Amino acid sequence: MEIVKTENLVKIYQDNGVPVEALKMINLSVSKGEYVVIAGPSGSGKTTLLNLLGALDKPTKGKIYFEGEDITLKEKSDLAKIRLHKLGFIFQAYNLIPVLSAIENIEFSMMLLGIPEKERKEKALSLMDELGIKELADKRPNEMSGGQQQRVAVTRAIVNNPSLVLADEPTANLDSVTAGHLLDLMERMNAEKNITFIFSSHDRQVIDRAKRLIILKDGLIES
Amino acid sequence: MLLKLAWRNTWRNKRRSIITLAAIVFATVMAIAMRGIQLGTYTLNIRSVVELFSGYLQIQDKRFLDNPSLASSFVVDKNITGALKTTKGALAYAPRIYADGLISFKDNSRGVAIFGVEPEREKDVTTFIKNINSGRFFISDSSNQIVVGEQLLKNLDANIGDEIVLLAQCYDGTLGNQKYKVVGTVKLGVQELESSVIFMGLKSAQSLLSMGSRVSVVAVKTNGLTHLAEINRSLSAKIENANLNVLSWNKINPELEQAIQLDNVSGILFLGILIVIVAFGILNTVLMSVVERFREFGVVLAIGMPQLSLTYLVYIETFIITVIGLIVGNILGCIANYYLIVYPITFGGEIKKLYEIYHFLPQLKSTLNPSIFISVSFLILIISVLSCLYPAYKVYKLEALKGIRHT
Repeated sequence: MEIVKTENLVKIYQDNGVPVEALKMINLSVSKGEYVVIAGPSGSGKTTLLNLLGALDKPTKGKIYFEGEDITLKEKSDLAKIRLHKLGFIFQAYNLIPVLSAIENIEFSMMLLGIPEKERKEKALSLMDELGIKELADKRPNEMSGGQQQRVAVTRAIVNNPSLVLADEPTANLDSVTAGHLLDLMERMNAEKNITFIFSSHDRQVIDRAKRLIILKDGLIES
Repeated sequence: MLLKLAWRNTWRNKRRSIITLAAIVFATVMAIAMRGIQLGTYTLNIRSVVELFSGYLQIQDKRFLDNPSLASSFVVDKNITGALKTTKGALAYAPRIYADGLISFKDNSRGVAIFGVEPEREKDVTTFIKNINSGRFFISDSSNQIVVGEQLLKNLDANIGDEIVLLAQCYDGTLGNQKYKVVGTVKLGVQELESSVIFMGLKSAQSLLSMGSRVSVVAVKTNGLTHLAEINRSLSAKIENANLNVLSWNKINPELEQAIQLDNVSGILFLGILIVIVAFGILNTVLMSVVERFREFGVVLAIGMPQLSLTYLVYIETFIITVIGLIVGNILGCIANYYLIVYPITFGGEIKKLYEIYHFLPQLKSTLNPSIFISVSFLILIISVLSCLYPAYKVYKLEALKGIRHT
């Protein structure tokens, strides 16, 4: 089943009035359960593509279909609903809410879905237990290491059973051992829960473990 | 959870929150204390002035206010005395005559305002009898005795004990004249009044002016200003004579009310300036706290938080600080006002003399009137909501991606 598909996707930025073509006619399709890595040098358009696939940005031209539905012309509020219900995000800088504990960060997106407190606490604890981070439940982000924070971020991204998880350079701030553990975790989620992952990365370790590799160069898919 | 998040965000930058809190507390205390002193002193001054002479209420003929002549006099019948005795809150009353006349002593003549009063009743209603400067006040039954303004006695070149002649147009249009003995002088502070006022017994005045048992007004003392409107309504309802009006102090002394209104406007203006300064303080804090969290806001928007919920969050944070500030400010304001009730600021020297000229007590006293606390709190709450509009708008317009990229 096709989760996301792009048709002739173009993204042009204005950089001090000068148009910069970040993506040029990208045609891409990702199916349910895939584990995709978009790789390429800095400035190749990886993050731009990920942002478009994650309904965080709108293309200049072309179309994006999410689960068969064209989301290109959708309103801001509709895109927010899609992100909340269907997508999970993992950022390079973890981006946990600093005033909330690990479990509260995980509960946050469930709270936005209107899940009752008791239910979301049980679900968050159960998932944390499954991913081996239950002992971090009451810790705030500043009390955790980078690797621990990123594990919490992964848990937050998958807790609502999203159709697709987008991870933008998730290992960039981690040492290779911690990065390896994190990739193990995500591979496990992909294998056990059939969660679709799309990464953007130029980390060799991430690229080597990709089940499908897309190389971007100068805004074009090279392979 | 939104509330929990807002609460924790509020204390995230403790120093900034405490400074904002201090600004709100300061504004609340200042506003409450200032308004307390203003309104408390107004009450004090009103009481001081109306208790000196006019009374809290007056029963008058409907024409009297515009045309204070003897033709607008009336008889205090049983219905009126009954109404005064049975109206709750009406403590005492004193019938009076107001008339114009000409006073002569040897070769000196002066136009005068004649007040016919009953000292025994006036003692329970007003305080002007205590303002006797030299000599004594006459007693009700004594005829042919008068008390005059101190300056008037000087202008006439007369002394206490001298006999003067008073000439006035009577109720029936004829001219009445009579000799009177000056038994005392009063000092009323206002030079104009002191040079033109004479007090005489009510019966003497009725006799001089051929008024029978008619009077010009009945001054009424009530149990204060708080329930005045209610007492006025109740008394008016009981008086059957349709030609009579019950007027409150502000109708009898419109210049006093206008002076208070003018002073009140300046007080409100100062209050407005204070609150606008605080509003900018709140705006600055909220804007700073919002802009420095753009990245975080971008992330929660990316996760799928609705834009409106994020805007609510900013409002809840402002609301928390404002409400805490208002609670602390109200408690401190209450203490400050209570202190100024127990220990009012009392003036001496020139200021005291100035106050006494207008028959104001030379004091600044506060009040615990709940309306001050409610209106100040409401105003600051509204101002904090308004000053939060711009930061909230910025949050509402924030795009997830721009937020995430914000540095």
